[in-house]
Amino acid sequence: MPPPPPRGASRRRRRAAVLGTPPGDDRPERARRPLDVVTGLVLDASPHLLVVGTAGGEARLAISEATTVWHGGRGGTALLRPGRRVVVRPRDAGPGTADDGWTAARVPGGARAADRIWVDIARVTGTILACGKGAVDVDMGPHRGRTRVEIPPRSLERVLVRHPRLEPGYLIDVICVRSPDGPRAVLPGTSQPGHRADDLAAPEHSAPVPAVLRGTATWFGGLDDRGDAGDVADGAAYPAVDAEGDAGGCGNAPSGCVAFPFLSLGSEITVHNECDGRGARVPVVECGCVAARYCDRCVECDASPRGRIVELTPAAFARLGGDLVSGCFTAAVRPLPENSGDRPVVGEQCALSGASKGAASW
Amino acid sequence: MVTAFQNTQVLLLASVLLAACLAKLAVREPVANTSHRVHGVPVPAGLARLTALRGSRRMAVGLGLGEGVLGLALLMTSHLSVRLATTVAFAAATWLVGELRVHRPDAGCGCFGGLSARRVERRSVLRAMLFTAAAVAALGAPLAGLDVLRDVQAQVWLVFAVELALFAALSPELPALLERSSLPRCPGRASTPCERRRSPIEETYATLRGSAAWAEHENVIVSAVPLDVWREGCWRFVVFPARRDGRDMEVVFAVSTAERDRTVRAALTADTKDLSAVL
Repeated sequence: MPPPPPRGASRRRRRAAVLGTPPGDDRPERARRPLDVVTGLVLDASPHLLVVGTAGGEARLAISEATTVWHGGRGGTALLRPGRRVVVRPRDAGPGTADDGWTAARVPGGARAADRIWVDIARVTGTILACGKGAVDVDMGPHRGRTRVEIPPRSLERVLVRHPRLEPGYLIDVICVRSPDGPRAVLPGTSQPGHRADDLAAPEHSAPVPAVLRGTATWFGGLDDRGDAGDVADGAAYPAVDAEGDAGGCGNAPSGCVAFPFLSLGSEITVHNECDGRGARVPVVECGCVAARYCDRCVECDASPRGRIVELTPAAFARLGGDLVSGCFTAAVRPLPENSGDRPVVGEQCALSGASKGAASW
Repeated sequence: MVTAFQNTQVLLLASVLLAACLAKLAVREPVANTSHRVHGVPVPAGLARLTALRGSRRMAVGLGLGEGVLGLALLMTSHLSVRLATTVAFAAATWLVGELRVHRPDAGCGCFGGLSARRVERRSVLRAMLFTAAAVAALGAPLAGLDVLRDVQAQVWLVFAVELALFAALSPELPALLERSSLPRCPGRASTPCERRRSPIEETYATLRGSAAWAEHENVIVSAVPLDVWREGCWRFVVFPARRDGRDMEVVFAVSTAERDRTVRAALTADTKDLSAVL
């Protein structure tokens, strides 16, 4: 994972000083290592080689017949035009290296072999503000602003399957491609029909907080140019970021349909892709108050429990083995370090008794 | 026999009213249950206002006190006005519980305070109807509750025990009560877990400034403005710049976000700038 925001490291150090040292790695047992994903702008592309400009310099990736390129649909290397933004997932060479590991498959020249390349992929998730002819205005939350999504006729039918009521006040979630005129919807990003944004199904106020949350992991972003320089703010948007002090949360965020513990920007959560088996610690970089409004399931591999428990940046999502086009994977998230000694011991027994009995294992 | 049965109803009703009074005063209703939608459909504004009024703490305390007064009056006097008031109260409760069951399947009746937070079941309606019937039967009872207790007949005890058993069987609050009593030291309402409780920053500062940890480190703090304030689960962390023996340091406080008995921990650490210089 790339380095977390600067504040995250100092917060973890201070937290460890006052509560004790948390464990170094909360990855689930036998979890596979995350993939080494490359994000950046296409500098050059040929039928056999892709050169990507990243924050760390140029990355060269080999392209083969097995490489899939997506730009609103599957296509060839002609889609890899200079200036377009790409997320490249290298091919997994399989097990056999140290630490249950993964190593990138390499071609004889030393370049990594690309497995999947998503070109100019973006996602719009939020509440519909207005519907026009072939476009909808979407409020993506207080921290992501508003945007207009074009829904071309060839995509409208697919979008309407999951969002039969494209009306103001209803939630929408669409996978898009970036275009000079703004995001263009390609397909819906959720398997369940949309509902009104204020139709929340919050758990009871006394519902215990499980040590490991289970639900759906989705991804967000791709609309702005933040990721072009190598995902400086790569990480997760967590639905329950505290709004007080310097925690960085949204003031009137809904509580979500899962019993989330409050965290802050810079906190680290452990995300496990239960479809692919990969796991990693991911820093919280944004408040995911929009995700809190969704109580849908992911049907990527069986049906996940309801609720979006984390939104990941495209790179973080792909690193954990997610397919950006399918839009989700069943996830287990450990929001707090596995260290029972860091909980209050006096007075909170009432509140904690249910939590500590909750699903504590991966 | 009929008279003994009528007298027993006075005892039963007094017991129920006093129990409801105690439950309303001791166990708060959950505050988070303020949704005015049923299966996504908005509840009519009038009914929503009524539910909000019924769910308010003041209303619960007022009703509880009223029930307590009525229960005590049943024990102390055999005046017809008390019996009539009891009958009207139980008849109104029956109507209300029936309405709630039909129109607010998501809301509890609050009959026994926070113990009645779950949705109204059919047995709750049946229970209210039986109490109304008991109140009607008690209208003609010759004795006040205390007088019945002074000269208890075996058949009164028998009927009373059977009725209490029936009352317990028809009460969804009993499992809630047993659940609460099995929890370690949980006075009052069911608490929101500290991890997800919304804790205002003012509460954190008040807890911090009243703590022994603050008193211990107050003298080394050099600025009242914290360097960083953030939260993780049950703890809110507050960091102040400090100076000790001529060295720049930091005092890190961890303040619990629990509803009550909040604890505070503290640690004096090297300044981040110093540490980065060392590293």
